[in-house]
Amino acid sequence: MFRARGVGVLLLCFLLAGCREQADITVSDSQSIVDDKNAGSPTTGDWLIIHALSDPEQLNPLTSNDAGSSEINGYIFESLLSRDPRTLELKPLLAEARPEISQDKLSYTFKIRKNARFQDGRPVTGEDVLFSVKAIKCSLVNAPFLRVYFNSVVDAQLVDPYTIRFFIREPYFLNESVLGGVIVMPRHYYDRENLLHSVTVRQLAQDPTKLPAEVKKFADVFNRNYNRHPLGSGPYKFSHWRTGSETELTRDTDYWGNGKEGIDQPHVDRLKFRVVNNVDAALTRLKSGSLDYMESLQPVQVVRGTSSERFERQFKKYEYYAPTYTYIGWNNDHPIFGDKRVRQAMTYLTNRKQIVDTVLFGLGEVVDSPIYFFRPEYDKTLVSYPFDPAKALALLDEAGWKDTDGDGVLDKVIDGNRVPLRFEIKINAGNTVRESVALVLMDELNKHGIAASVRQLDWTIFLNDVKNHQFDAVVLGWAMSTAEPDAYQVWHSSQAANKGSNAISYKNPRVDEILEQYRQEFDPQKRIGLYKEFQQILHDEQPYTFLHVRKTVSAVHRRFQGVEVFPDGLKPIDWWVPLAQQKYANSIAAQ
Amino acid sequence: MTGYLIKRLLLMVPTFIGITLIGFLIMRLAPGDPAELRAAGGLGAAAGAGISVEKRGSVDEAIAQWRAQYGLDKPLHVQYLVWLKNIGTLNFGESFKDNQSVWSKIAERLPVTIKLNFWSILVVYLVAIPLGVYSATHPNSFGDQVTTLAAFILFAVPLVWAATMAIVFICGGDFYYLFPPGGLESIDFSDNWPIWRKLEDRAWHIFLPVVLLSYDGFAGLSRYMRASMLEVLAQDYVQVARAKGLPEKRVILKHVLRNSLIPQVTILASILPGLIGGSVIIETIFSIPGLGQLGFESVLARDYPTVLALFTVSALLTLTGILISDLLLAAVDPRIVFGRRQQ
Repeated sequence: MFRARGVGVLLLCFLLAGCREQADITVSDSQSIVDDKNAGSPTTGDWLIIHALSDPEQLNPLTSNDAGSSEINGYIFESLLSRDPRTLELKPLLAEARPEISQDKLSYTFKIRKNARFQDGRPVTGEDVLFSVKAIKCSLVNAPFLRVYFNSVVDAQLVDPYTIRFFIREPYFLNESVLGGVIVMPRHYYDRENLLHSVTVRQLAQDPTKLPAEVKKFADVFNRNYNRHPLGSGPYKFSHWRTGSETELTRDTDYWGNGKEGIDQPHVDRLKFRVVNNVDAALTRLKSGSLDYMESLQPVQVVRGTSSERFERQFKKYEYYAPTYTYIGWNNDHPIFGDKRVRQAMTYLTNRKQIVDTVLFGLGEVVDSPIYFFRPEYDKTLVSYPFDPAKALALLDEAGWKDTDGDGVLDKVIDGNRVPLRFEIKINAGNTVRESVALVLMDELNKHGIAASVRQLDWTIFLNDVKNHQFDAVVLGWAMSTAEPDAYQVWHSSQAANKGSNAISYKNPRVDEILEQYRQEFDPQKRIGLYKEFQQILHDEQPYTFLHVRKTVSAVHRRFQGVEVFPDGLKPIDWWVPLAQQKYANSIAAQ
Repeated sequence: MTGYLIKRLLLMVPTFIGITLIGFLIMRLAPGDPAELRAAGGLGAAAGAGISVEKRGSVDEAIAQWRAQYGLDKPLHVQYLVWLKNIGTLNFGESFKDNQSVWSKIAERLPVTIKLNFWSILVVYLVAIPLGVYSATHPNSFGDQVTTLAAFILFAVPLVWAATMAIVFICGGDFYYLFPPGGLESIDFSDNWPIWRKLEDRAWHIFLPVVLLSYDGFAGLSRYMRASMLEVLAQDYVQVARAKGLPEKRVILKHVLRNSLIPQVTILASILPGLIGGSVIIETIFSIPGLGQLGFESVLARDYPTVLALFTVSALLTLTGILISDLLLAAVDPRIVFGRRQQ
């Protein structure tokens, strides 16, 4: 019996501890209801606790390749150019102005700001930019996926200590954006011994086995030792990273951009990226006050979990369309889907409006082309394919698909064999939206004598099948950027070979021509014209059935002011909290 | 005894190699490719909107480079031998994710998982033994029936479900706020806090995960305890002890309890791997930075070196667990003697 009592006492202790802590948090929450109109002018202070689904892979901007890392690195590092969040135009950041481009469009010259500083106080110079380009181009640095963008950069040279000139292999309108995106890393920190000094960019692009020993030494150290202690020129300094639980950044009070026109001004003293692996647990944490900002709520959370009065009082939801789209890809090399009438019929049989209304709870828009819905390049004159089974069956009939053997499944004689209209839709397991889309479609098709089935696969296995063209149909999504589109990688016929992104093997000579011409066209209006034609061809041929762009809904605690919705989403760097509402008191300003 | 120990330790070597070979093959023959995964922009693309357009394209060369860097372009048996040779020197390689040594990643997270499992085992035994004793000494009473029913219900409840329900209902969502919905410390936790406040904060955070991780264990163990105790109670020497007028408390605690504890020691060996498996679920749901969370993330990302290292570590723990419980058995049961046959 004495043992049982021991357990009881232990339990009691825990419970008491629980109650006490709970009281602390609810008190500070009830104070944080803010009247939007009484906000006043931006002020510094307070913390912003951001939800992260997992740890960043690493905080070296060159060797990481995941969204979590780039989000955090975006506060620590800066590039030569950035984009205006409203107009999406390029604007100078570490560069003094946009680059000077030569007549032949093969050389770009950037002048670097003389007043920009790294977080350790040392100035940002051309040497640092040159070092950063060398690090990207060095084939021993573990950044193969980033290096792909810089394939056409042949050389880079310093004209004077604050001017750098890049040389490009062939004209391409996005080169300014690529070069402007070079993340500037301090040479004195990332290459202490100046090991890359004696090699040129041209030499670094060579066969890795021929590189000198000091380059190997540099790459070894760079790949291993700089992944957890980043140092850049951005508004936030790295503070700590507790593995699996949080990464913290603090506002750099000596930020070179403080008070400068056209540079984002940071306000919040600390950014904490708090890891919550499970989205349901994350929503609970948000409600309990231990998260301030949760990006991209699940559709069901938007509709059911976040509409209570209590939630509305504490949080505000913001909506925007992230530049992505979901589609059904038909394998154009497949005997069934080689015929454009069959693909059109499939689109007529897909009730896209209903999918948005039921699967996405209305949080999305039907789209008809691969271009981001809100770009000027998107062709708004396309007439959406309606849900029309009768028309679909007529098209299938015209294409020769009839139920001749009376087994309830349409069939057709192809190359002397009678083939039933039977195929499989592959999806990746764990994505409920794609799963529902596939099941809704399967249901509809089965009603009309089309024997479609659905198969779920683990993501990596699925990816492998898609790249090797081992599928009849897939439900998948593409993520783009809000900047100028370039559809070459997905739609050019050359990208169908060698596991390229044109996994459905779409081939059209006129489309190839347009895509090639578009890349070398520097006049935005002419580019729009070219892409209108491209979209009309796709619309007619329906190589994909384009489904929808999802509405992203994010929740932010109401004490934050200055929250604005941009095409790209929200920008926490602009947010601030009025002094009276600040929740976390021990700010860096007070120290 | 020493001879027996040496024999057992030597036997562990082939067992261990067999386990690692199977683990290696399962991991590597499972489809999926870490290089492709990275090229597609990580796992976010699976759950979220889709593969990033800009990150695709002529990446084949990049993928080949990446594979060569980690030795994935060599034949499978060569890779296994290289790996085996390396773990001989306790070198588990480098993680694909961040090029950090896997050993340091594990060392960083091991204390958390050990802490979680230590408390869980403690709770399992502290709850199960009194419950079992109570049930066995009051057989078929109302209290026994309630504990029996409760034990069977707890035993049947899936951990994933229980943990999710706990988070939704008692962790500060729309219902009650008794416990924090995850993590090990509060957001504003500071090293400057007084020691009692730090302890209190940590206890508050670890309470729910420990309870969830152990309920399955104590529900099961209390049944074993009840059964073995009832068996002992029916023995003649218990009758004798009672007949010679020993107080009931002394009969139960000294004679019955001690003898019915023997099977519970053996069960320890099987609880340990179960708890390690349970930590994967609990640590992922509660975002606790232990080995379970690391393992889950690494499997999804096909981070082979990390997964294999974790596999190796848990295999070693299980083997050690079995060995320890065998040795303990000899300690508690004088009838068992290892190493030589009884004459």
